[in-house]
Order: sequence, then structure tokens, then C-alpha cells
Amino acid sequence: MRPGRGDIELAGLCKSYDGVTNVVDGVNLKIPDGAYCCFLGPSGCGKTTILRMIAGHEDPTVGEIVIGGENVVGLAPVERRTAMMFQSYALFPHLTVRDNIAFALRVRGQSRLERYRAVDLMMEKVRLTELADRLPANLSGGQQQRVALARAAITEPRVLLLDEPLSALDEQLRVRMRQELRRMQRELGITFVHVTHTQLEAIALADIVVVMEKGKIKQSGPARDVYAYPCDRYVAEFLGGQNVLSGKVEKVGSDHLVISQPHRAGIHVGVHPDRRVGIGDRIDLAVRRDDIELMRATSGEPGGGATALPSRVLAIEYQGSFVKVMLDTIPDEEFIAYVPERTFFQDPFNVGDVLLATWSAGRARVLA
Amino acid sequence: MSRQSWVAWLYVTPLMLVLVPFFLIPILVVLVASVLETDGFGGLIPTFTLANYVGVLTSAQTFHLYAATLKFTALTWFFTLVIGFLVAYFLVFHVKNQLLAISLFLICTVPFWTSNIIRMISWIPLLGKEGLVNSALLGTGIIREPLEVLLYSSVAVVIAYVHQLTIFMVVPIFNSMARIDKRVVEAALDSGASRLDVMRLIIIPMSKSGIALGSIFVVSIVMGDFFVVKVMSGGGSASVVSAFYENVGVLQYPIAAASAVLLTVILIVVISLILRAVDIRREITQ
Amino acid sequence: MTAVLERLDVPMVKSRRHAAAPRSDRRPWTFYALATVFTLYVAALYGPMICIYILSFQDVRGGLVFPMKGHSLHWFVDLFTQVRTGDVKGSFDRSIKLAVLVTVITLVVSFMAGLAFRRRFFGDMFVFYLMIGSLVAPGLVLGIGIGLLFQWLGINASWYTSALGAQLSWTLPFGVLVMFAVMSRFDSAWQEAARDLGASRWQTIRLVVIPILAPGLVAVALFGFTLSYDEFARSLQTAGSLNTLPLEIWSMTLNVTSPSLYALGTVTTIVSFVAIGVSIGAIVLINRRRGTGPASH
Repeated sequence: MRPGRGDIELAGLCKSYDGVTNVVDGVNLKIPDGAYCCFLGPSGCGKTTILRMIAGHEDPTVGEIVIGGENVVGLAPVERRTAMMFQSYALFPHLTVRDNIAFALRVRGQSRLERYRAVDLMMEKVRLTELADRLPANLSGGQQQRVALARAAITEPRVLLLDEPLSALDEQLRVRMRQELRRMQRELGITFVHVTHTQLEAIALADIVVVMEKGKIKQSGPARDVYAYPCDRYVAEFLGGQNVLSGKVEKVGSDHLVISQPHRAGIHVGVHPDRRVGIGDRIDLAVRRDDIELMRATSGEPGGGATALPSRVLAIEYQGSFVKVMLDTIPDEEFIAYVPERTFFQDPFNVGDVLLATWSAGRARVLA
Repeated sequence: MSRQSWVAWLYVTPLMLVLVPFFLIPILVVLVASVLETDGFGGLIPTFTLANYVGVLTSAQTFHLYAATLKFTALTWFFTLVIGFLVAYFLVFHVKNQLLAISLFLICTVPFWTSNIIRMISWIPLLGKEGLVNSALLGTGIIREPLEVLLYSSVAVVIAYVHQLTIFMVVPIFNSMARIDKRVVEAALDSGASRLDVMRLIIIPMSKSGIALGSIFVVSIVMGDFFVVKVMSGGGSASVVSAFYENVGVLQYPIAAASAVLLTVILIVVISLILRAVDIRREITQ
Repeated sequence: MTAVLERLDVPMVKSRRHAAAPRSDRRPWTFYALATVFTLYVAALYGPMICIYILSFQDVRGGLVFPMKGHSLHWFVDLFTQVRTGDVKGSFDRSIKLAVLVTVITLVVSFMAGLAFRRRFFGDMFVFYLMIGSLVAPGLVLGIGIGLLFQWLGINASWYTSALGAQLSWTLPFGVLVMFAVMSRFDSAWQEAARDLGASRWQTIRLVVIPILAPGLVAVALFGFTLSYDEFARSLQTAGSLNTLPLEIWSMTLNVTSPSLYALGTVTTIVSFVAIGVSIGAIVLINRRRGTGPASH
């Protein structure tokens, strides 16, 4: 059986439990066939509800869910040809690994012989053959996840829906299972929709990252776009790795602006010529933490078009490949620089040192 | 009504098919019988009368019966509570091995699933005039004459009640105590609370719902009992329900019904007083 | 009572209880005091029962009190052969049949009610309080109400109609309360997973819900069986002309003064113990087979 087209389109999707507030509020999104899509957002942002609506465990209040060109609202999960991997897996505790995976075939009325043949193939694929007769209680977290994956995949879905699939695992295993998920997705060649609140997980896995807030999509696109070019303060802060500043426009140049704010002036930021900004406008801007260069205050001013803000070192955290330096660049707001480990230890700073935090105008971006 | 409610009602229909004809309607029947006249031969004459209530409420016997019943209830409640609390406390807070605690708990609960009557009559060889207790006391020279008060007396009634009903205290109190996070107790001890403080400020308040639930069981069973009183008092004491049983025996249904209604009202008052202290549904369903 | 099985499901609560850091091994004096209270309680709980079991094995000279007079099975034979002691065999038979019937009905009805009560529904508190009412109502009064009702309707009271209903009004509240405790552990994600994999409503119940809840259902059955088998107050006025075993024991307590009474006590307790043993054994076995029992840890 060919999986068929697994492209998903959500159109005007809304969900309300009480008829007053929308948990999911007008979501429009296209996910191409065979893509790995991650919904990212804090708990309560509606991402799991969207997943459950795609799965058919909940009905939308308004809107359409189209899978492979067919509106599936009202259809049972099997008829949608979707399969879901539940948070903490919901493996059946009374069934062995083999019978857990065979469950879908069993309820379709396949004979024991027939379904075990299919299951054995699947178990080989996810390296579970050794564990076939174990019960879920006797499996490690990673093994449980593989069983859950196999149990979902055996239905030959065109879309696999994963609800926080890695949250039950410890840190090291999480990284390993991430690769496993990606590998399975490539092998199965079907659409994966994955819900998570961990940005690292989302950008590591996804072709498309969808950032959500309060039932609405804030930004969606390829992982790198969302990470490197967040559209607004919320996305920038949620994905991390950025320092977000706000201020008033002082000067408008051809390709850059100069911003000032109560504590700091002379902040240069590049701007797209199409973007219309007037003097006096309040804007947010973002600078990646690894784009910030720290200089001793004595070593002179940086070149033109660059921003240099005097800052005191508040704290230093060693992170292995880089060093995280917390600064008081903008009073009362977080401002962090990631300094490559080798660079840092050539001339290490101490807490209390006064430095210049610098970046060139092109590295700073104006946010919506 | 929502679709969900309809489905739920579908699922509780069989339950209602038992509770309505075998609880709700029979109680209403008793209520109706209490305001009818009797023909003296077990038949009821459909004439409304309050004479039964007047008869019950003005009789000195009623007063004695209620006094006796309340006395038994209070004594039983007190002893079952003290013993039940101590046993539950021991199992939850002093037995460190989980498996052992559960085994000991099961040992406490097994008699619940055996016959009450047998457990009651099993006191005869112990408490009788020639029973083990008297022999032991005589043997050690503490008493010269065998104590007659042990069996077929109020003492025997209370002993039998406590023997049967302590389990109804142990189980719910154990249950609520087991839910107390041990770290709360340790935190209290670390912050300088004495063990008395811990008991007074943490364990008792947090076991309150279990105590209430156990009290409901004990109070309602003692107040509704008749056979323990009848057998263990040797006919010397009576309770509201044993008098009711006598009335039924001589086919005095309306009088019996009136006294039953009165008892039920009192029972409801007592239980609702207990319920004010605790949300029983939350306690049971969690 | 719901706690009884919560405790039987050892493993699920295991990790939670001893999360606190171990304290010093020296036990406080209260440990010894309370251990004494506990021991005395258990002794008082079982002591008298054990006495009558022992006394039931006396020979023909036996009386109601110690000392033992000889050893024999005389009173057990007496129990089933003497007319004087009533129709023990017949009532025994009826009680077992009735208990099985009550068990099956209690199991099915409690299970369904347990499913309904997982979510709030319109009128749920009414059903709940009706159930609690049925639980705490004085058994004899309820029995007489049922007796009168049957009399007015012109139906003969018998053990398999009115007494069956009367006993269910007692076993069902217990059964449903136990189901509440069992259901509170049931993760609805299992049901959703089954639905997701294409199971119909009935397949979900048969292949997922019932097997997962099996230990709890065994406990419900235990309550159904033993509570019915030992039920007395509600059966007294509803059993009609033929006695159940507790009614037989009741009439014996009033007129039999021989160790036959104890022999009957021994026999009926053995039946209860078998039921308890089978149930607990089944629960432990199921849990162990799932690899969640104490054995695998």
C-alpha cells in the first residue's frame, strides 16, 4: 500500500472549549508531503491541540484540515491515515512489544501469522527484534520510544504525529533519539508533525519550524530562517541565541538606522530598503549572541558603522565549546555574548571587568 | 444535556436500575408506611395519620432506645478512631519496608471479607463465664469470681462493634496518611517542630478526610445495627433498629416505619455534619 | 475500602512513598509502643476467630468454651447430617449461587458506572449520593422496605429476586467506589492510542480497557462475592422462605448451643479465605506477569 500524499493544509483552524476563548485561533499553514514539521511554543500555546485535531482526537470548532487534498474533519483517525505517538507513549502495559506493535493489525482482523510477519519486519527496522517478548515496564525510555514509533508506523500512515516525543527521556538519550526520529522519517518518507517546547529540538530536527503563541502562529519557515531571522521579539526570545534591544530611531540612513534608548545611544542596525521607518519610531532589534565581539575598553574604538557599548561583566559561564558572558550592556535586560572558547582563553575576562560590546551594523536586525 | 452526559447516563443506567427499585423506592415505601394505619394483622389501611410519629416521639421507650444507641455509637466511634488511627499511623510512618507495610495492611483488611456474625460469636469462648479471659484472670488471682459482665452485656456489645468496625477506620485513614508526602514531615522536623507539633499540625489535619470517611461508616453501621446488640447483650440491651425488628416481628409496620424514618433523619443529620468537614467525593475518587 | 486495592497495586506507588532521604536507623520509642498496639490489634482481630476454628474440631463431648475436649470432625458431620441444625447444605448452596450471581452483576454494573464517572456529567452528584445513601442506609430498614414493596406488588420474596436486589444495593456502592480508585489510575491516552490505531469502541474496551484494569476488576469481584456471601441484615426480610447461609447461622446462634455453630463458622470462613486467596493471588500474578510486580524489582 502506498502511503499516498501526506501534505497537510490547515485553513482558518480554531478551537474553543468554552465558546469564549480560542485555544487555537485562526491557524493557516501548509506542510508539504514528506516534510518534518515542528510546532514550537510554551505550554498552553495550542500546539498540542492542533496536533490532536490533525489526528482526529478532537474536532475543530471552525476551519478545515486537508490531508492529501481531502478534508478530513469528522473522519476517524484510521480513515485519515494518520498515526499518533503519544506523550510518554501510552504503550499498552499488558501487551508484549510484539503485540503492542501488532495491535493495529489485530483490530483489523488479521490472523496472528499474518500480523506477526509484518511485525517482525518492522521490529527489525527499528532494532527491536531482541525485545519482542518484553513488556513495556521492562523497557528503557529509548526502547519504549522505538516501540511507540513502530506501533504507529505499522499502520502505514501518510502522516505521523508526535506529541512531545522526547520529553520523557534524559538529556543524552534525547540527542540520540532525535537522530533516530530523523532517520525513521527519511526511511518512511512520510510527513512528520512534531510538537515540542524545546527550541533546540525543533531546530535540530525540522524542515519547517512553526512558532506559536496563544493559539496563533507567530512565524513559520525553515529552521535556519526562524532561528537567524526571527520576525519579532517573541520569536527571538523564545528561540534564544539573540539579544533583543528596543529603542527610538534617531537617524535613518540608506541601509541602516541609528537607534538610541534611555541608557545607550549610537546603536547601528542594518535595515532593508523596503522597510519604512521614520525618525522617532520605536523599534525592536536583535543581535545574535555569537555576533558580539568583546574588546578591552583600552584597545580603542572599533571601525565606523559599528556599535560599541561599554559593558561590565556580570557573570561568566563556561559552556565547553564557547563561553557565555553576561553583561550589563542594557541595564535591567539580559545581554549575553557567546565567545568562542579559544578566543576567550587567549585573554580571559573576569567578573567586574569593563569592556566594549561591539557588532557591525549588518549583524543587527530590525524586528517587527 | 450534552452528548457526553447522554453517554454517561447510558453507562449508569444499570446502576440506577438497581438503586431505584431496591433503594430509592423501598425507602419511599417505608416513608409511606409510616403515615398509614395498621389493621393489626400486617396489612396497612390507606388512611393518613401522624399517630405513629406521635406514638414514637412521646414514648419514654424511644428516649431510652436512642440514648442506648447513641451511647453505643459514641463509645464505638471513640475506640475505633483511636485504634484505627494508631494502626494506620504505625503502618504508614513506622514500617519502612513498603512490601511489609502492604502485607500488614492486608492482614488488617482480610477479616472485612469474612462473616460478621461468625466474628461476633467467636467472642463467646473468650468472654463467657468459663471463657479464656475469666480463666486467665482467675488463674492469676486478679479476681475470685468469674466476671459476668464480659459476655451478654453492654461491654460485650462495644467489644464486638470495635472488633468489627475498626477496619472501617484503618482503611480510609491509612489511605489519606499514605498520601502525605514524607518530605513534608521531614521539612517540619528540620525546621524545629517537635513530633507532637508534627502530629498536631501536619498529620491530623491531613488525615482529616480519612477520619471523616471512617466515621461515616462506623456511625451509620452502629446506628443501623440490630444483631450485635441482640446477640451480644443477651437481650439485656436494645437499640433503635432492634426495637424496630421487634415491631416488625409483631407486624406493627407503621410504628416501625415511623421509628425508621426518625432514625434515618438523625443519621442524615449526623452524616451531613461530618460531610461539612470534608468533600467526600473528592476523597473517594482521587 | 478503595484503598485496599490501591495498596495491592504495589509498584505504582512504590517510588513515591520512600522518596525522602533515609533517616537514622535508630527507632524512636513510639515505634515500639505502636508496634505493640498493632500486634494487640491483630491478635484481637484474629484471636477469637482462631479460637472457634480450634473448638470446632472437638469430639462429641465438646462444648462452647475451652478446654478442648478431644479431636474429631464430629461437628462438621453433625452440621450436614442433623435436621436439628437446619438446612445447612441447602442454604450453603443458595448462598454460593447468589454470591456468584451478585459478583457477575456487580462486576458489570460497577465497571460501566466507573466508565461513566470518569468525567463530570449532568446529574452525576445525584447518582453519587443515591449510591452513598444506599451504602449507609440501615440494612434491616431497607430490607423491610423491599419486603413491603414486593408484598404490595404481589410478588413473592425469594433469594433470587428480592434478596438479590437487596444485596446489590449493598455490593454495588462498594464496587463502584473501588472502580473509582481503579479508574483514577487509568490513563485515557491508552484509549486514545487504541482509537488511533483503528480499534472500535468495543475493541478498545475488550482489548485495552478490561485487560489493563484486570487487577482492579478482580478486587471488585472479591467485594461482590464476599459481601454477598456474608450479607445478613438486608437479606433477613427479603430472602423469602428459603434461608441463605448467614440467615442460617443467625438462627443457629439463637437456638444451637453446640460446636456445630463453630464448625459452620469454620466452613464459611474457609470459603471466604479461598475467595480472598484466589483474588489476591490473581492480582499479584497479573502484576507480576506485567513485570510491574515486586518480583521484578
